[in-house]
Amino acid sequence: MSSPKVGIYGFTGCAGDQLMILNCEDRLVDIIGAVDIHSFAMAKSDNQNKELDVAFVEGSISTEEQLEHLKDIRSRAKVVVAIGTCACWGGPQAMKLEEGGFEDRYGGVYGDANITVTKAFEAQPVDAFVEVDMKIPGCPIDKTEFLSAVSKVVAGRHPYFYKFPVCTECKWKENPCILNEGKFCAGPLTKAGCGAVCPSHNIPCVGCWGPTDDLNLSGEYKLLVEKGYDTDEIMRKFKKFGGAGIAKLIKSMKDEQRGVSE
Amino acid sequence: MMILKMKKEDLSVFLETAKEWGELWGPTRKGERIAFEKVDGLSQMDLKATRTMIPPKKFLYPQRFTMFDFDDKGYVERTGHAPNRILFGVHPCDIHGIQIMDKLFLEEFKDPYYAERKEKTLLLGHSCIPDDKCMCTETYTEFIAEGFDLFFTDLKMFYLVWVGSSRGHDLVRLKPELFSRDIGKEDILSYNEYRKWKKSQIQAETDFTGMPDIFELGYDSLVWDELAEKCLACGQCTMVCPTCNCYNVVDEVELGTVDGTRDRFWDSCMFREYSLVAGGHNFRDKRVDRLKLWYTHKLQAYIGEFGEPSCVGCGRCVATCPVDINVVTVTEALREQEVGR
Repeated sequence: MSSPKVGIYGFTGCAGDQLMILNCEDRLVDIIGAVDIHSFAMAKSDNQNKELDVAFVEGSISTEEQLEHLKDIRSRAKVVVAIGTCACWGGPQAMKLEEGGFEDRYGGVYGDANITVTKAFEAQPVDAFVEVDMKIPGCPIDKTEFLSAVSKVVAGRHPYFYKFPVCTECKWKENPCILNEGKFCAGPLTKAGCGAVCPSHNIPCVGCWGPTDDLNLSGEYKLLVEKGYDTDEIMRKFKKFGGAGIAKLIKSMKDEQRGVSE
Repeated sequence: MMILKMKKEDLSVFLETAKEWGELWGPTRKGERIAFEKVDGLSQMDLKATRTMIPPKKFLYPQRFTMFDFDDKGYVERTGHAPNRILFGVHPCDIHGIQIMDKLFLEEFKDPYYAERKEKTLLLGHSCIPDDKCMCTETYTEFIAEGFDLFFTDLKMFYLVWVGSSRGHDLVRLKPELFSRDIGKEDILSYNEYRKWKKSQIQAETDFTGMPDIFELGYDSLVWDELAEKCLACGQCTMVCPTCNCYNVVDEVELGTVDGTRDRFWDSCMFREYSLVAGGHNFRDKRVDRLKLWYTHKLQAYIGEFGEPSCVGCGRCVATCPVDINVVTVTEALREQEVGR
């Protein structure tokens, strides 16, 4: 069996996920041995645009040029894997999704400069434009989770990702619950996999892995209001990393609230 | 059952000697974080701490561990490597919890991983100082008669030490001069005083009797929906519960090979994934169904099967749930048919 042909691409983001792949130092040789890397602009120069078995895509999509490139990748790849919170959910640059006002914000930054390179638009996750087969969230992705997923894909197995919230790993580490200290913690809303690294240092979870599969947004919202948090602040913090995932949940929460008040 | 007497100041020497048998673990405190940790000796333990965040189940059945290694030819169990451990300072409720775990993991279907760790763990119980979240008098778990190797009851000037197993007795025999059989009338009176004191410390007024009936009557009660609206589905209750034992199993594969490990980690019936089956059907798709399952399991179904609740009154769910859903508030809500604050 020939090695799977792989491409690794970066769009709008900090490139932290690609860096994390390169940071798998002691395993890099194994990775290169197990897969045939056709394209990885951050790590090598002779990149080819050929048919791929797996394309790993980092970053959100925020320009026409990126969108064309993404569609090209999708057309060449059997499997597309979104890596990192920006690719999976949109990331911090997508915190204003569904709020509108992109033109004003764009104008605030670029004024009336004549930008001809490409046309920019509100950043969105990869799956807003093309079909995504698998999501590996993280800010950045976790090495262990990434290697586990790659190993299984290469072996023809289904990868497994924790579907529970950060709270589970946080309890495994025996940390007292930060919400019970009256602080804002996004743990119950956020996908596990990070090893609850922030709460283990008594720093509340900011939700950087994006929303988990099964959460109670309005429950957490009500709890935070009860604890005295300002409603705007709560919404801002919910949206900080949650991008498209949280935007959808906020919309259904608001619909629900409207339904109750009517 | 043999009961011996030991001077308080001799405990440190005793534990030092006991380390001959294995690693010493006890309750430690770092800020608000109370956990069983490996310690050098008594001075690193906090025996006044009411409860650790995670009960001692983590020793018998760790949060995540590898069961066996496999390749294309077969598999090799990872058993045989668990260290000998002495757990000191385990409270009566937690020993009751371990007895429930034993029922599930050692009787009908013997779990080799649990069995090995249990075999290599000595349980040295210790009397406790209850707080306002304890409710062990309601679950009849405030005292313990079996399931430990030694049990130390702190009677201010001295310890009364229950010898609960031959292995416990072996530990005593490592330093027999520290233990005395000379127990007099005063000692019996002060033990009785201690029992009265302990019962008086429990403030919870939680009536668990009749819960199977209340649960049956209130299975479709709207109270459940109100509770589910608050529940964050964070799963903390199940992680901290001494009798919660559900797990998930996944394989990890070594990159570029078909070799790998089969791992097991704590799961929770509070999670949607837990009740999802092949084909996409979910038996408990709604949060309200999952919440009902947990409470009816603890306070109704388990009583039906084993004649006692699988709640040991430790108060961990009371101390942990961020939205105040716990055995006290749920039973109260079902009795009153109203969800309190």
